[in-house]
Amino acid sequence: MRKLLPAVLAFAILQATLRFKDDSGLARRLRARDPHVMPALYDRYGRAAYSLIFRVVRDAGVAEDLVQETFLRVWNRAQSFDAERGALGPWILAVARNRAIDHLRSVEGRMAAGALELDRIENPALFSNFEDRALTIDRARRLKHAFTKLTPAQKEVIELAYYEGLSQTEMAVRLKQPLGTVKTWVRTALKVLREQLSEAVVA
Amino acid sequence: MTCEDLQDVFELYSLALLEGEEKSEVEAHLARGCETCQKRLKDALAVNAVILASVPQTAPAARLRRRVLAGFGVERPGWGWLGAFAAALMLVVTLWLSVQERRRENELADARREAIQVGAERDRLIQAFQILNQPETKRVNFGEGLPQPPRGNIFVHSKLGVLLIASNLPALPAGRTYEMWVIPTATSVPRPAGLFQANAQGSAINLLPGPFDSLYAVAVSVEPEAGSPAPTTTPIVIAPVPVA
Repeated sequence: MRKLLPAVLAFAILQATLRFKDDSGLARRLRARDPHVMPALYDRYGRAAYSLIFRVVRDAGVAEDLVQETFLRVWNRAQSFDAERGALGPWILAVARNRAIDHLRSVEGRMAAGALELDRIENPALFSNFEDRALTIDRARRLKHAFTKLTPAQKEVIELAYYEGLSQTEMAVRLKQPLGTVKTWVRTALKVLREQLSEAVVA
Repeated sequence: MTCEDLQDVFELYSLALLEGEEKSEVEAHLARGCETCQKRLKDALAVNAVILASVPQTAPAARLRRRVLAGFGVERPGWGWLGAFAAALMLVVTLWLSVQERRRENELADARREAIQVGAERDRLIQAFQILNQPETKRVNFGEGLPQPPRGNIFVHSKLGVLLIASNLPALPAGRTYEMWVIPTATSVPRPAGLFQANAQGSAINLLPGPFDSLYAVAVSVEPEAGSPAPTTTPIVIAPVPVA
């Protein structure tokens, strides 16, 4: 075990370095407004962005438009992105989700939190000094496990928040439940997910 | 509100779903650089990222990559499979047209050749009728009453020519042809008088245009395809031409 440890550590460091180097290289070129970085960026995050948007809007044609909008937005706002310590993946996913929610809201005619609000929370500066391990297979597995611990009502409010962009007030109306009940569901669900995920980081 | 009161709301805040007092409290904490809240915001963004990445993964259409990248001028907006299909279709149509063109040219050449043949045939028939029509034409009958060798008539007109009409000609092996000969009275040496083939029924017409000096006889022999300057086989027809 004592012999194995340095090797495992070295491997882990290499992995982390590679991943870090990878995305920071992309981010640096993105900041430098080098358009030739876009194919690599699309190849790395296009599928995830499309899948997320499609999950929200449920229409391939609309999803394609919104993916295009997402990458255009990433390109336009990349100058304030922290290339060395920023998290490109989480940022692109946030932008993608917001484009999809914005579309959903305009279609449904509800503008509770306006486009301005969405714009503010996808500020690339928010995604700097980020845990490099935000998006790992291990965390994805932990999340899947965490979801099994949620009640159906808790699962539903999570889905309404992330994939339909409903505020707690809107959820209460949609689910015909008191606001206090909805808030409890949301808080409990997020607490379970948060704890399960942070356990993964500790482990 | 204290930081503890706000600890569970950062995920909603970073989804732009927080409302009212909670939202303004979070903003106030972040604005005054509250470190606990900054940390919680980062953690919340990380949690959100994992949740947003957990949706079922669906591959977008290949055209989306081209479309997105075309927006940055790094890839020309190609026509994709449609272009490839159109190009392939055009190639096929071009090939088909050129094949058709070639075939039409061949057909045209065939038709032209046929027209020339028909014209030649017609001229020959006109000549043949002229020979038959003339009162001074001499008729020689050969092979009368026998199934083999062939039967027929030879019409001789010293100015218009010699006309051979034969039937019961045996079928020839490949590479062989019938050759007619005229034997002038003066020399008695057979002179080539045209190559001909019999039709499927064994009939044939051959015409040698005149004029010529008086003939002693007309003969037919089987010769190699290209013909011979003098008979190489025993003639199957020898018809003496009457003197008067």
